[in-house]
This record gives sequence, C-alpha cells and structure tokens, in this order.
Amino acid sequence: MESLVFGLLNGVVYGLLLFMVSAGLTLVFGMMGVLNFAHASFYMLGAYFAYTLQGLMGFAPAVVGATLLAGAVGVGVERWFLRRVHHHGHAHELLLTFGLSFIIAEAIKLVFGNYPVDYRVPQALDFAAFAIGAQQYPVYRVLMGSVALLMFAAIYLLMTRTRIGIVVRAAVYRPRMAEALGHNVQLVFMGVFGAGAALAGLAGAIAGAFYTTSPNMALEVGVMVFVVVVVGGLGSLGGAMLASLLIGITTSLAVGIDRSLADLLALVGARAWADGVGGLLTLKVSSLAATIPFALMLLILLLRPTGLMGEK
Amino acid sequence: MTPLHAIALAAIATVTLGPGVAQAAPLKIGVLETLSGPQASTGQAFRSAVRYAIDKMNAAGGWNGEAVQLLEYDNQGGPAGASDKLKTAVADGVQIVVQGASSAIGGQITEDVRKHNLRNPGKEVVYLNVGAEALELTGEKCNFHHFRLAGNAQIRTKVLVQAMKQAQALGTKVYAINQNYSWGQDMERAIVDNAAAGGYQVVEKTLHDTNKIQDFAPYVSKISGSGAETVITGNWSNDLLLLMKASKAAGLKARFGTVFLDQPGNLTNAGELAIGHFVAHAFNPEAGGAEGERFVADYKGKTGHDPVFIEPQTAFGLDLVADALKRTKPAGGVLDVNAFAKAMETAKLKTPMGEMSMRAADHQVLLPLVVSVVSKDARYKADGTDMGFKPVKLFSAEEAATPVQANCKMQRPG
Repeated sequence: MESLVFGLLNGVVYGLLLFMVSAGLTLVFGMMGVLNFAHASFYMLGAYFAYTLQGLMGFAPAVVGATLLAGAVGVGVERWFLRRVHHHGHAHELLLTFGLSFIIAEAIKLVFGNYPVDYRVPQALDFAAFAIGAQQYPVYRVLMGSVALLMFAAIYLLMTRTRIGIVVRAAVYRPRMAEALGHNVQLVFMGVFGAGAALAGLAGAIAGAFYTTSPNMALEVGVMVFVVVVVGGLGSLGGAMLASLLIGITTSLAVGIDRSLADLLALVGARAWADGVGGLLTLKVSSLAATIPFALMLLILLLRPTGLMGEK
Repeated sequence: MTPLHAIALAAIATVTLGPGVAQAAPLKIGVLETLSGPQASTGQAFRSAVRYAIDKMNAAGGWNGEAVQLLEYDNQGGPAGASDKLKTAVADGVQIVVQGASSAIGGQITEDVRKHNLRNPGKEVVYLNVGAEALELTGEKCNFHHFRLAGNAQIRTKVLVQAMKQAQALGTKVYAINQNYSWGQDMERAIVDNAAAGGYQVVEKTLHDTNKIQDFAPYVSKISGSGAETVITGNWSNDLLLLMKASKAAGLKARFGTVFLDQPGNLTNAGELAIGHFVAHAFNPEAGGAEGERFVADYKGKTGHDPVFIEPQTAFGLDLVADALKRTKPAGGVLDVNAFAKAMETAKLKTPMGEMSMRAADHQVLLPLVVSVVSKDARYKADGTDMGFKPVKLFSAEEAATPVQANCKMQRPG
C-alpha cells in the first residue's frame, strides 16, 4: 500500500515534469508547424543559465532569469534563423533545429566542461514534505509538480480566455487574414517560439537542480519528450498532459513489478517450459521500465496515429 | 643499363634497405575511444591517460630507437563505429589498439581482433583493454591477443565487500542494483557470489536500463521497502549520481558501495550526501604514500589535472606495456606482435599501490585495489570540494585476485 502510494506520487510528479518540457514543444508545433529538435536544448540551457545566475542572485530569481534568458535565445533563433528558412518549408526548419541542438550541446561542453556541474536544490528547499512509514517525500518534488500545474493552467487560460490567445490562434489559422487586419504575424510567431523556449528553460532550471545538470541532459530528456508529444497528439496541450502522466505513472509502477511473462504462463501450467525458453519470457517487467513508453508509442502509432488527443 | 650499373644499383639497394633498422616505421599505438557524443567525457579521460603514458615511454627513448606514435580514433560511442575504426587503424599500420570505455565496445573489438589475426597471420594486432570490465572478455571470449589492464566485477566486489565488512559498514541486508548489460549483470552475480564471504543476504536484485532513466525515485522506493542496509552498485555516470540523489531526497538511510563514485562531477554534484559511501578503485594517492604523491604531481604537471577515475589504472596499465616492449626485440625493424604478447604475459611492475603483474592464463592483470570512503578528513580533496577519498583498506594484487574462469580456453599461436 505504502509503496503503491509512493509509486503513484513519483509517477505523477515525473509525468508533470515531462509535461513541463513537452508543453513548449507541442505548443510550437501546434501553432507554427515547426517540429523543434532543439527544444530539449533549451531545457538544458535553462538549467545552465540558472546554475550560472544562482551564484549571483539566489535560487528563485535565478530560475526566473534563466526562463527569460532561454526565452530570449528562442526569440533570437526564430528571428535570425528560422525566419530565413521558413519559406523553404518544414524540412529545412527541422534540419536547422537539428543542427542547432548539436551546436548548443557542444557550446555547453566548451564553456562548462564535460562533467555535471554543481547545481543543486537549495538548502532551504531540501527537506521532506511528509513521510509515510520509513519513506520521505521531498518538498522539491511537490514544488516541481505545482509549477507544472500552474504552467498548464496559465497556458490554457492564455490561449482560450485572452485577446492574445485569439490573435495567436488567428495568426496560425489564417496568417494572411490576420496580417490584413493589422496584426503583426511575424511578431506572433517570434513570441510563440520564444514562449516555447522559455517554458523549456523554466523546466530545465527547476529540474536541473533536482536531477543533474550535465551536457547530456538534453539528450536524456529529449527522446522522452518526443514520445510524450507523439502519444499525446502533436500540437495538443491536453494530450501532452495526459500522455506525460500516463508515461510517468506506468514507468514508476512498472519498477515495482518483479513479474515476467513466465509467471503469467505459470497460470496455465507452462512455467517450466517458459523458464526453459528464457529470453523475453523470463525478463522481469521492472527491468523494462524505461522501455515501456516506447512500446506505448508504438501501440498508439498503430492504433491511433493522431495520438490520444490529436486533431488530424 | 650495363651489368655493372645493375650490380651497383643492387648494392645501393642492399645498403639502404638491407639492415633496415634506421628506416623502420615507428611503432604505432592507436586509441580507439569514444571521443564524441554523450559518453565522450569518459573516452577523453582514457585518452588523456594514454597520452601521458606514451609521452613517458617516448621520454625514456621510445621503442627501437624511435618515438612511439600515438594515433587517435573516435569510435563514436558504439560497437559499429569501433569495428569500422579498427579497420582504419589496421590500415594505418597500428599494431596495438587501446580501448576502455564500455564493455559492449570492448566485446566487439576483441572479436574483431581475433578474426583479423586468424585471417592475417604475421600481421597480428593486439588489443589492450584498459577499462572494459565485463567478465566474458577474460572468460568465454578470452583471446591471446587481448589483455585486460583493469579490474573486473568479481575483483571489485570482493574487495569492496571485505573492506566494508571490516569497517562494519556492510550490515546483513544488501540490495543489488545494476545496469542491464554485460557489466551490470556481472556485478549482480558478483554481489550474490560474495554473500557468504560478506555475511549478508541479498534482499533484492534490480537490473535497469543503462543511462536512460531520469527519475530514480521509484527504484529508491523499492530499496526502502526492502529494508536494505547497504546498496551495492556497479552503476557509473548519471545512473550512479541520479540514484544517490534520489536516495538522499527520499531520506534513505542505506549506505552505498560503489565502483565508480570517483568519476569527476560526482562529488561536486552529490555534495555532502556522498559522505560515508564507499568506492573500490585502483588508485588512491593517500594510500600510495610518497610514490603516490609523486605520481599525482607528475600526472598533473603533464596533463593539467589530477589522475582520477580510470586514469591511474590506464597509466599503470600502459607502464606494464612499456615493460613488455622493452623486452621485445624488433624483428626486421618492426614489432613482432606475437613476441610482444608473450612478453606481456610475464610483464611486472611496481606501481605506487604495489606490485602489479599480468596473469598468463587469462590475460587478466593482477592489480592492487583500494577501498576508500568519502570523507572530509581525506588528505587529497577531490573534484574541487572539501571532501575526498579516505583509504579504508589497501589490497595487494594477490589478495584482490579471483581465480581464472573455467570457460577461458586460450588459443596460443604455434
């Protein structure tokens, strides 16, 4: 029971973190049709910015500063890079962001070195929120989850309840018409891309302290973020939330399951045969935990190629 | 051309080509490491140690009167790249290849080297394994042209368990958590094998994906539920760091017995939570006394950083190679690889940690190991922190050694 509660809690918070990173990606894709391969790099930039600023201004301002800086880098990328290749089509945009992800990773290595840097949860936030039995639940995880929920609410309200949201959606849906009505569509695109990068930066600044801030962090989270976006449906914010939670919870619970297919076959009396065959049949579910999201993605692509909540 | 001219020409040819010693190509050693991509930091650490050792070899006169040439190849982090670059290296005239990061890559190289040597008698190459610690490399896959100059799971776990038991830090309930590939599986087996000697019970075993997991909280929750007092793990890089950070966040009281805690970045990033955890490694300057101090100073002077992680074992391993090279006479101006391999089998060296030698039966080096604990009292601080590794117990090569694996059937050339 105790482990189930913790399993669920861990899964939900990890899922919320995944959502924080993937929100920007799905937003940018939904609005601009750009599949941003460098998205996870903004996540990494956010962490390194926060690490650098932390020494100067303390943790909370550093997180805010890192978010803004990552957003500024995103704005720059859109203004001086993406805009130039936009009329060549999506393949060029994709290749550009792909190349950019390598450049950012190598630049980070040049400046900060190859190894993880000393970016940690500040002492003031390093305590247990509550404990069940012998296990404690760190307050920082609760904080990460709350930030993600706030972010979800803010984006959702911004897009559906404000004038900015209307302009953005109009610019995406009918750019020519929006332009004719006097809205600066270029500015809208720049803003959306910058906001996407800033969201990733925020996620990095917060998660970098809890996990590790190293030149590999973009790669580690990048793949999973794409899985989230594909499972949730490209461009769907709600879908990203649903998929993140689904992936977080299934991986977390799978770790606790020390059963294999052989145990299942034992029910029909084929245990000895399964043990004899070995291989996949005797592989424990727990050792496959990190692979489950990929299996899930495969399943979704086969059964519902648009994703859980995708439109087209 | 008159006959006289022909004779004269032939004479000149004999004079210039005949003895051939002065014109002989220099010995080429190739480093086949992961120099780009996510695991580049480890590959670069191996490279820096190899460079240090080769420079030392050359300062002592090189081999056959010429400087030994070091060539570097990037295997791009995978067996396929390594296999490809091995062919390039052989085409470039490399006779000795050096690699260490990743047992998966090591497995590929040793197989490729074996096949190459079967097909090209007289043009053999030898593989110096400075860090791929999977047991099969000196067991099932053992090969006359492969030499492991590093430890392995059995050796490391054996000393770790003994030292932790002596320091009364082991407890009776041990949790084994490892990465799901050859090295991690070997570690898991070694932890189970040492249960009787360590007087503990393995409460649970976990194998997980390698360097793919961000969130270790579910695993820590499982460890906590098992009631383990000690966690023994062969994890390296992020898998170790994230596991320890998650344990700290969850308030887990268990002590960690590790193999790679001295990897740069770990202490910086883990901070105080690393204190009291153990590591079994090949070098600790505090345990090495004056010799150790001299080695650290020399290494730092030449490379710009302290020898840590896998660097000392690599530098010592190549010193062993230098010893074997010294005893191998050139055949026709070039290195006879088989003669060199035979000399390697009897190579011996005194390192700051003690006597080190090659075991001919399976080409596993017998090296002294030291078990250290992270503490603020350590004489040498690590990683720019106020903590360091304090030696708990130094094991001589004989004490650390484990028997030759029964499934090693080495084929020796005629």
